[in-house]
This record gives sequence, structure tokens and C-alpha cells, in this order.
Amino acid sequence: AQSAYQEHSRRRRKDWMKLIYVSSLTPEQILHGDPSSTDLQNQDEDDFFTIRSKGTVAGGTEEDLDVTKEKVKLEDLKEWENEELLDSIRHLFITGGSGT
Amino acid sequence: MAQPVSVLHFSGHQYLRHRLVLSIISGKPVKIDKIRSDDKNPGLRDYEVSLLRLLERATNGTVIEISVTGTAILLKPGIIAGGSVLHDCPLSRSIGYFLEPMVMLAPFAKKPLQLTLRGITSDDKDLSADLIRTVTLPHLQLFGVSEGLEMRIKKRGSAPLGGGEVQFLCPVVKQVKTLDFIDAGRVKRIRGIAHAVRVSPQFSNRMIEAARSVLNRYIPDIYLYSDVYKGEDSGKSPGYALSLLAESTTGAMHSAEAVSEPGVTPEDIALTASRALLSEVRRGGCIDRQHQVLVLFMMVLGSEDVGRCKLGEPTPRTIQFLRDVHQTFGTSFKIVPSNPSDTTSTELLFSCYGTGYVNANRTLA
Repeated sequence: AQSAYQEHSRRRRKDWMKLIYVSSLTPEQILHGDPSSTDLQNQDEDDFFTIRSKGTVAGGTEEDLDVTKEKVKLEDLKEWENEELLDSIRHLFITGGSGT
Repeated sequence: MAQPVSVLHFSGHQYLRHRLVLSIISGKPVKIDKIRSDDKNPGLRDYEVSLLRLLERATNGTVIEISVTGTAILLKPGIIAGGSVLHDCPLSRSIGYFLEPMVMLAPFAKKPLQLTLRGITSDDKDLSADLIRTVTLPHLQLFGVSEGLEMRIKKRGSAPLGGGEVQFLCPVVKQVKTLDFIDAGRVKRIRGIAHAVRVSPQFSNRMIEAARSVLNRYIPDIYLYSDVYKGEDSGKSPGYALSLLAESTTGAMHSAEAVSEPGVTPEDIALTASRALLSEVRRGGCIDRQHQVLVLFMMVLGSEDVGRCKLGEPTPRTIQFLRDVHQTFGTSFKIVPSNPSDTTSTELLFSCYGTGYVNANRTLA
């Protein structure tokens, strides 16, 4: 029952400690990959190859610089043209009424 | 310093800066290989060599060996000397690239650091001089590094020719404070700096106008400063940028900026910066995404007590940094959702037991 619960919670939410300290996925895979539990186990078995292809070879074909600021994707920012979304974060500001 | 011989070993050209910083702080030699070994143009880039030179100059007794092909380096760290350092940054990267690792090291130097950097003051890759001044330095203050901490932007320099100059003054500390920062609060004010050099000064007003059109709906306390640099102080190339900073009731800060690109109007630059700021605020946490590494680094070095901090989702850099910290100091963070009942929240609570790092360099003086 406990394992079932753990599996359930993992599906809901990433287990960051396991992903960071135990798995050997690249940081990009952790963030963008599908973190469902079966996938994670598969990755664990053949990560020896995944790392190499993702980490070094891809880095060689296209120059990915060591940058602090992430590239801002203009398409991602397009969403802010939507009034509803603009209003949806009002509670994060002091003027935003009773969020709490 | 006599250290047990345990060489840190990393591969690849990515994350070079924080790896060098970890090596110098821990006193462990670091070997980094496979630096672009599969690339058409293998080995270190000019800015990376320049960074190594800067680290060599700011420390005492550091030995750096670069292999013939430039694809591997071995750094045996000395002590962090501090003092007065002048460095000309190559034009391939902005001064932010060089300042960020120096900000991490400077509090642990033997003497207070007075660093003068010349080059490009803002570009689209690294934190601009403005953000380092308004956001990075307040983050250091959270850890008790405050007295005499200052940065002056003497001249601005845009890409590609640069010509800017900044001065960074940092005091030394014996030990950093343990951080306990779990209440993000709500945004109470927004500040910003718009600057335009070698273009019409009206550009910065246009950027301010456009940023206000997005941000005014949330909060009246918005002060966007138009920073004008004239003549010699404005560098060699035209350019403009807007950097924004949202500050919360508990002092949590989030920042965003956008830098001019050819063929993009000041209004669009301002919209990009404002919307990026909104995205940043929405991600939550107490710490700006770009400063996660700095804050976690200081938490690891904190006194032997449990430090806690609420962050948004970690960036790829942060994840790699956590792994490298684990390899260097053996410290691992406890990472749990900050609000387990709310499944939509991506905020995470990071906690770790500080290593109790004491600035031995300082007491030697």
C-alpha cells in the first residue's frame, strides 16, 4: 500500500531529491521530460547512453553557451496578452485583494 | 594549504563558472576535461581563458594548467586574495559573466575586493551590471555581507564594442549567516532602470511608458528610472535596455530584463521585459531564478545549522549546481513541496545543513 501511495504521489509531482541526486538524467531531461515512474526506471537502466548523446554530442553540434539568463521565448510571453491571465496573478501583489 | 588529495572531476564546457568557484572555495583541485572535444572548434573560448586569468589574479597561489588542445584544464586553487584587481573583459561576453563568480568568491577573500571590470555592461546572455547592482547584491545582504558592499557603473558599454566600466567593492566576512526565508510575501513595489546610450535619450522614456502600460494595472508603486550616460561614459556602441525588479513585502525579489536588438523597437523591448517579469513573479518562491545558484551556494557555506529557503522550480543550472555541490562538499539539500496540499503549486522548500565554512583566509591576515 505504501509503494502504491508513493507511486501515486510521484505521478502527481516530481520527486526532486531522487531526480537530482539519484538519477543521472541531464537537468534538461528532469525539467522537460516525462517524470512518470515507469519512464524514470527505464531511464535508470540505459542512462549510460542517454547522458552521452544528450550531454556531449549535442553540445558539440550546436554551441550552447554557459549563460545565466535563459533565452526569453517571445511565443511564451505572448500569453500575457490574455487579460484573464493578467488578472490571474493579481493575488501575488499587495493591491490584489484578499488572496489569503 | 595542506589538503587531502581529492581532485574534483567534471566534464564538458557547461557550468564552468560554478565549478571553478566550488573548487576555489573548497580548496580542492578541479580537473575539467572534454571541453568541446567533439566541437568543430575544440577547446576553451577566449572568455573562458579570460575568466581563468581573472581568477588567477584575484587569488594567490592558484596554478592553472591548460592542455595543449585546450580541451582539459586542471586548477589547483590558492587562497582568495582580494585587494585591487583590474580586468579587461573580452567583447565576446559581458562583464556579468565575470562578475557572477567573483560575487560568489569575494566575501571569502583575505582583503576586501575592489574589482574594476571593463567591457560590455549589458547583453542578453548574462546578468547586466544593473541587475547585479540592484538584485544580486541585496541577495548577498541576506547572508550578512552588507557593510561596504557596493557597485558603481562608471561607464556603460553596449555590444559589440563595449567600452563600459564598473567597479565592484565587496567586504570580507568570517562566516555567512544561515538563511531562513520561507515567506515570499506579495509584491509591494516595482523598480526599474531604463538606459539608452548613443541613441536618442527619448528611447528610455518610450521603454518606461510601454512597461507601465503592462505593470500599472497591478500596483501604483512603480518607479522606473531613466539612466542617461553622456559622452565618454556611454561606451562605444549604441544600445538600450530595461531591467525590472519586483520587491515583495518580505523582501523577496524577482527580476527580468531585456536588451536592445537590431530592428526591435524600445516598446517591444519593454514589453518583453515586463512580461518576463510577470512570468518570474508567477513562478513564485523567495528567490529570483537567476539567483538560485548564488543563494544555494551561500546556504551550503552557512553556519552549522539548518538553512531553509523557498524557491520556485529549479533551473537546469541549479540542478547541475546541486549535483556539483554534492560532489564537492557532500552536502545534499532536502527538497520538498512547500505546500503539499496544493498540487498546482510548484514552489519547493530547500533546506540544508550548512558546512560551517569559516573564512580562513581572513584570519591569516
